[in-house]
Amino acid sequence: MCSIGDDNFEELDNLKYMPAKEKPSPFSKCNKCKEEIPIVVLRSKDKYCRKCFLAGATHKFKATLGKHKLIRPNDRVLVIHKCGHPSTALLHFIRSGLDLETHKKLRFEPVVLFIEEFTHLTVTDRSEILKAIEKEVACFNFQVYLTSLAKLITTNSVETELHANFDRLEMDEDDKNVITKFVDQQLNETNKNDFLNITRQKLIVKIAKHLNCKFIFTPEISNDVASQLLTDISLGRGSTVSLNAGFCDSRDETVKILRPLRLFDLKELAFYNHLNSLEPVTYRKRDENPYKSVQQLMKKFVNELQVNYPATVTTILKTGDKLSLGTKPTNKCDFCNAPLEEEGPELTSAESTQFSHWVSTQTPAERRLAPERAFNNPTCDNYCFGCRKFRK
Amino acid sequence: MPPCSAQCGKNAILKRPKTGDTLCKECFFEAFENEIHFTITRAKLFKPGSKVAIAASGGKDSTVLAYVMKLLNEKYDYKLDLVLLSIDEGITGYRDDSLDTVKQNRDDYGMPLKIMSYKDLYGWTMDEIVAEIGRKNNCTFCGVFRRQALDRGAALLNVDYLATGHNADDIAETVLMNILRGDLARLSRCTSIITDSGDGIPRVKPLKYTYEKEIVMYAYFRKLVYFSTECVFAPNAYRGHARVLLKDLEKIDPAVIMNIIQSGESLKINENANMPTLQKCTRCGYVSSQDVCKACE
Repeated sequence: MCSIGDDNFEELDNLKYMPAKEKPSPFSKCNKCKEEIPIVVLRSKDKYCRKCFLAGATHKFKATLGKHKLIRPNDRVLVIHKCGHPSTALLHFIRSGLDLETHKKLRFEPVVLFIEEFTHLTVTDRSEILKAIEKEVACFNFQVYLTSLAKLITTNSVETELHANFDRLEMDEDDKNVITKFVDQQLNETNKNDFLNITRQKLIVKIAKHLNCKFIFTPEISNDVASQLLTDISLGRGSTVSLNAGFCDSRDETVKILRPLRLFDLKELAFYNHLNSLEPVTYRKRDENPYKSVQQLMKKFVNELQVNYPATVTTILKTGDKLSLGTKPTNKCDFCNAPLEEEGPELTSAESTQFSHWVSTQTPAERRLAPERAFNNPTCDNYCFGCRKFRK
Repeated sequence: MPPCSAQCGKNAILKRPKTGDTLCKECFFEAFENEIHFTITRAKLFKPGSKVAIAASGGKDSTVLAYVMKLLNEKYDYKLDLVLLSIDEGITGYRDDSLDTVKQNRDDYGMPLKIMSYKDLYGWTMDEIVAEIGRKNNCTFCGVFRRQALDRGAALLNVDYLATGHNADDIAETVLMNILRGDLARLSRCTSIITDSGDGIPRVKPLKYTYEKEIVMYAYFRKLVYFSTECVFAPNAYRGHARVLLKDLEKIDPAVIMNIIQSGESLKINENANMPTLQKCTRCGYVSSQDVCKACE
């Protein structure tokens, strides 16, 4: 049936919710100072001159950190480097914040971490990238630790795998197989990615603890967070969306993961780097088929919708900001460490799926003997809905 | 095909998108019907002895719903009084044909049928409205009119519940759409299996956890008669993004549909988030999100 009008849905609301793209006029002045000639257009409508653009970007970075008042002076912060414009801009934001002489000066102690996993490239190429990253971080005068995912998952202690120089990190053509074998081959592509993402997250928290850091900065930008939110929804992780898509992931008691770039888009940071004469380290991206996993599909979906509806990403982020963890749950998931949802009396999608599987495997004789009453919703051990697929 | 997962000895004819189990025709019928029965009893959708209107469009969802409701009502003795309720929007080449299908259902299932027409209720058919206002916002009007027409029809028939054919795909799509629109109020209520439309007649969705693909297969194997043409007027462009996304997701992993519903059910809205409230239209008194509803405008 036509679904228009269900749930008081009014088509005209759409204009309010999803404005289409506007065309900025090329003859106007900077939106902010109303004097200078604009050099950059953001969100397909806002025009800024060089000075106002740079001031705005810096302000946004500091306001994002300042608003939450989490970091205290002299706290150590582990900054995750992932190559590309966001990482380079993040380092520059931090360096210029620390170097300020005003009361707005940043007062924490950053340490940079790079986890190597470019297993689609040759060992020589990978080595070149590491060298470039080491050099870049040194330019900003930060301490850097280099490590590799393949090594981290094969050893139990992180201490021995953190290196300050690129030539100390051993890389192998076999690293790719090491990572592949680490993940259950029965899982589909989406769930393999999900497993590796959670594993990475747990590893950086472990490293942060080892390096005595209370906070982690990740270089995720708005598009990353928006597609992560939609991915989480599609993997049944709706109750913990605010951890993966909010500013702060507080699932660990001692180490908080923060996303200081979550309100920036790529164009903004690329211009920021360009205007500051910064060249990020680049590498050849992995060829990925967007129709093979939910994570890749969501990235493609968000980026494409954003082109014609520039409000897409901000709308998704705002939706995420209005979601919470609800009441403070007592138990945590054994795998991802997110709070476990308490099961209520209502029928849920999970229970319905369990019933469907149960009823599909009952023999005709069993069906006659015991109708649906024999079904007991199996109570799950300490795994959240999203992680149950990893249970052996 | 592999053997039937229910170990009945036959070969399977289909793989269930919801669970990945393979079933033969007989075991699929059993599983499909049992699940809807489970949903109805476990979620306590109907009080015994009540009167239920099934919103019937002649399409696959409402045809399967009417068929299964009748079957379960007899098999498990729900003691429900079932009637069909259809809306005649007055769209030539679409509704006139689909209403013939509903009339066929009425005769086949022996259920009374009530047709509410836009012409009788509002004095206009959709054809006339489109001739007047063009194709631009016609779907908005139609949607508002239909919602009210269903409510009025349900009130006229004096039913206790209005059952609609929304399936799992519809619900998952609505969750995605409300996130893309940033519509928190609708996001928080779109996964409810029972909703109160404001006039005291609850709307229920017995097919909430049933995959669209399985509904099509059930209708096909049961040889049910349904009408499968899309509306002749503009298809809903807005839902389009969410619909395409969901279809692509389903191809990657069909479990995503149930995952999205699970997410929708467990989302918690921040207490300090501003939420719009539903109000009544100042002219006709029906629920509306604005002072004057789109129908009165």
